[in-house]
Amino acid sequence: MSAAAMNSQTRRERRRRERLVERDAAIPVELYGLKRGTVTALTTCCVLFALFTLAPVVWVIINSTKTQSNIFGSFGFWFASPFEFFHTFANLFRDIDGDGTYANWFLNTVLYSLSGGIGATVLAVLGGYGFARFEFRGSKAFFAIIIAGLLVPITLVAVPLYLAYAKVHLINSVWGMILPSMVVPVGLYLMRTYVELSIPRELIDAARIDGASELRIFLRIALPLMVPGLMTVLLLSVAGTWNNYILPLIIFSNNQLFPVTVGMGLWSQHAGNSGDANLYPLLVLGGLVTIVPMIALFALLQRYWRGGLLLGSVAN
Amino acid sequence: MSAISMEKLSKVYSSGVSALAGLDLEVRDGEFVVLVGPSGCGKTTTLRMVAGLESITSGTVRLGDLVVNDVSPRQRDVAMVFQNYALYPHLTVAENIGFALINKKVPKPDRERRVRSAAAALGLMDLLGRKPGQLSGGQRQRVAMGRAIVREPSVFLMDEPLSNLDAKLRVRMRSEVLRVHKAIGAATLYVTHDQVEAMTMGDRVAVLHDGELQQYATPRELYDRPANLFVAEFIGSPEMNLYEATVTGDELLLGSQRLSLGPARTLLAPYRGRTVIAGIRPEHLELDGGAGAGHAGMATLVADVRVVEELGDEAHVFFSIDATAAGASMLAAAAGEAEAGLLAGATHNGIARTNSRSAVRRGQRVTFRVDTERIHFFDPDTSMAVPRMPR
Ligand SMILES: Nc1ncnc2c1ncn2[C@@H]1O[C@H](COP(=O)(O)OP(=O)(O)OP(=O)(O)O)[C@@H](O)[C@H]1O
Ligand SMILES: [Mg+2]
Repeated sequence: MSAAAMNSQTRRERRRRERLVERDAAIPVELYGLKRGTVTALTTCCVLFALFTLAPVVWVIINSTKTQSNIFGSFGFWFASPFEFFHTFANLFRDIDGDGTYANWFLNTVLYSLSGGIGATVLAVLGGYGFARFEFRGSKAFFAIIIAGLLVPITLVAVPLYLAYAKVHLINSVWGMILPSMVVPVGLYLMRTYVELSIPRELIDAARIDGASELRIFLRIALPLMVPGLMTVLLLSVAGTWNNYILPLIIFSNNQLFPVTVGMGLWSQHAGNSGDANLYPLLVLGGLVTIVPMIALFALLQRYWRGGLLLGSVAN
Repeated sequence: MSAISMEKLSKVYSSGVSALAGLDLEVRDGEFVVLVGPSGCGKTTTLRMVAGLESITSGTVRLGDLVVNDVSPRQRDVAMVFQNYALYPHLTVAENIGFALINKKVPKPDRERRVRSAAAALGLMDLLGRKPGQLSGGQRQRVAMGRAIVREPSVFLMDEPLSNLDAKLRVRMRSEVLRVHKAIGAATLYVTHDQVEAMTMGDRVAVLHDGELQQYATPRELYDRPANLFVAEFIGSPEMNLYEATVTGDELLLGSQRLSLGPARTLLAPYRGRTVIAGIRPEHLELDGGAGAGHAGMATLVADVRVVEELGDEAHVFFSIDATAAGASMLAAAAGEAEAGLLAGATHNGIARTNSRSAVRRGQRVTFRVDTERIHFFDPDTSMAVPRMPR
């Protein structure tokens, strides 16, 4: 047997074992002291809510296969011929109506989200660890200021932001989008809380006694333990930038720099004005393509939200 | 030469809590010193200051000849076992043990050899590849020890390393820890709040209370000559019985009972006509078999038995005499019982440790024989022991 095959088999074996462990860990509802009726009622509520949130997604998937007239003319929750999916998909990469191409915007979104998200995560991880495990002059005040940043919606600062950006030449600059995306106070707050709860002071003390430098303690001891929290922050900040609409709307006037959100906003305006360009199918499919990477990212990172990583570090 | 010495060491936390007040303590090379005291008395604080994890408010810490007040923990060559082990959860046992050696840039073959020999010494060879989460409490404790001994440090600090283990394992690990100590010979400061651990393990024992050193002596000395009331009550199990007593000439008045003092009368001369606190260890109360008076200084004490606790090899006889109890715990217990109105008529103010074969029953009136030379005397104003005669 080749090494690769062996590897994949042991991995499958491990998955199977993990699933078994999870099933064993599940506690029957009766043991929580809930009545069957309560459980049924609550489950029904959850299912209804799930349907409510998933219905638009289903609608988008179905209607991404239709022509513009069928989108308006046929039943929204069933397919209609002709099947236009691939045709529309090809059009996504063409400059319709002189506004710019979806492909271009999509790549912009990826660029902004990844660089902003990774930057935000790095800052949040460093800052959160620092605030959680070091005391320095003014640390409380600094943290309070950062938390205050949580409370300021970007719409509130749109005008001063625009004026400030104009002064430092960040209008129509990629950096104008990336730099502010790296500032995610929620991420820092999450990381600080995560460190406080999951990395005992004594673990760091033990590493200090073991002769590790602060940098090594951070990289070798703290960082591996911060991974689940880090993934949450990464996801939140990438998704935040991915969906950001107002900031790019303010700072970009060049269509080439638009992210998907603003580009599709433009299409959406034009779709209402000039009915002949057949922009609605593009909008529907564009929306679908936009959410796919986010779903994939969630699916990819969710395995990091396994609890119990710290199990066994400390007694009790 | 002393491996650790603390002078006037004090710690006031930023919250204003004074955890340690002017501690003077010295640990000689190769010595095993136990720091014992009730919860919150400043034991962990002391260790952390020696390790360099806590800033020093005032005083000095020396390791060898070097004042290390401003030396970082990394440079102190001190190993520490934490109260809750603090193992690195994402590293294997081998990596946990070897972490300090990597930091010291010990070459790999040498490192592996040392990790293996430490693991072998602690019986961890089969567990080297496991993560801490897959270990039992006792195994984790041994990994924590391994992490410390692999470094061959000059100073060893242990913060209640056995407190999380069950009673049986704790007893076994006590000798294990001592064996390891003998093998590496590093000066060790060992913290516990368990006086049995302190007495059985320490070359010398430092008793700490409210951030102040009460007595620093060998276990024998602590037991035979407690320096003050706190040490007298803290050391020994069951606790020493303490009563208010009056010295009259060559007799001691304990409630309505008179005990002839014998040779002890000379040291109590300054207290003639005054009240002292008399302490009698439960094991020094002997049930009188009617064998008649022994040598001079042998006195008798009549008591009513309230409860008898059979332990198999011995029995604890809870009794009451009409003297006023002076021990803090006894006073607290009495107050609590009076308040709750519990066990009315069954309150005891003393304990005797006797042979379990002696047929003592609840409600019985018994006579204890006690060697007055073994009674401890304390000044009620200062709580300090009345100096005993040199032997
Ligand atoms: N970081 C801190 N900030 C403020 N006060 C503290 C801090 N750590 C300890 N203290 C206080 O200092 C005193 C001594 O604490 P310490 O941890 O040294 O006690 P201990 O003897 O180790 O007790 P235990 O047996 O319960 O572990 C306590 O009153 C405690 O509340
Ligand atoms: Mg402690």
